[in-house]
Amino acid sequence: MHRILIIDDEDDIREVAALSLETVAGWEVMVASSGAQGLARAATYQPDAILLDVMMPGMDGPATFRELQKNPATAHIPVMLLTAKVQATDRSRFADLGVKAVLVKPFDPMALSQQVAEILGWN
Amino acid sequence: MGDPAPSQLSEAMNRLWQKFLPQMEQRLATLQDAAARLASGAGLSEEEQAAAAGEAHKLAGVLGTFGLTEGTELAREAELLCEGRLDTSPDAVTRLAAIGEKLKAMVESR
Repeated sequence: MHRILIIDDEDDIREVAALSLETVAGWEVMVASSGAQGLARAATYQPDAILLDVMMPGMDGPATFRELQKNPATAHIPVMLLTAKVQATDRSRFADLGVKAVLVKPFDPMALSQQVAEILGWN
Repeated sequence: MGDPAPSQLSEAMNRLWQKFLPQMEQRLATLQDAAARLASGAGLSEEEQAAAAGEAHKLAGVLGTFGLTEGTELAREAELLCEGRLDTSPDAVTRLAAIGEKLKAMVESR
């Protein structure tokens, strides 16, 4: 069973994504509501992948990603950014950070796990 | 026998919609309040403008997840209207108010 960590300050998005991945794919999901909490949970929980929101108060998604990369305990975990920004310049800027993928919100709850699995080669 | 996941997911999504409806209505109210202030000529402080753009951004991210694809498009338009240098022309203010009304109707009728 795959283990996913969702880091997003918006509780509705967090719950929908968790529901989607648990119900459709049967994956184990852990959530964090801030970048700082996400860093701690990633280190202890050692997920197979992380879904990370871009716009969060305090430590935003890109800053959280950079901290994940700095820590040897979490640097190997593939990260996919979640963003509601659809402009190509924004998406290109996020992709340049070195994340595995940039996923656009809103997502289809029925298709999210398949999308993640394809990106990570889990099919 | 079909895959139970779609119906389970659909039922669970409906429960989440009900759970988060007050939050979405609050976000919408912030957006509509901003439109009303602009329409009255009162203007928006930087904080109020940022709050309106932020709530529009959050609505854009979530409405389509609950099947309201057009809601996401409208919320994105509202976000663009509210961020950066605020367009207070009559056309822009009227459009923002219209978006708020449309979003309210969509949310109420889902």
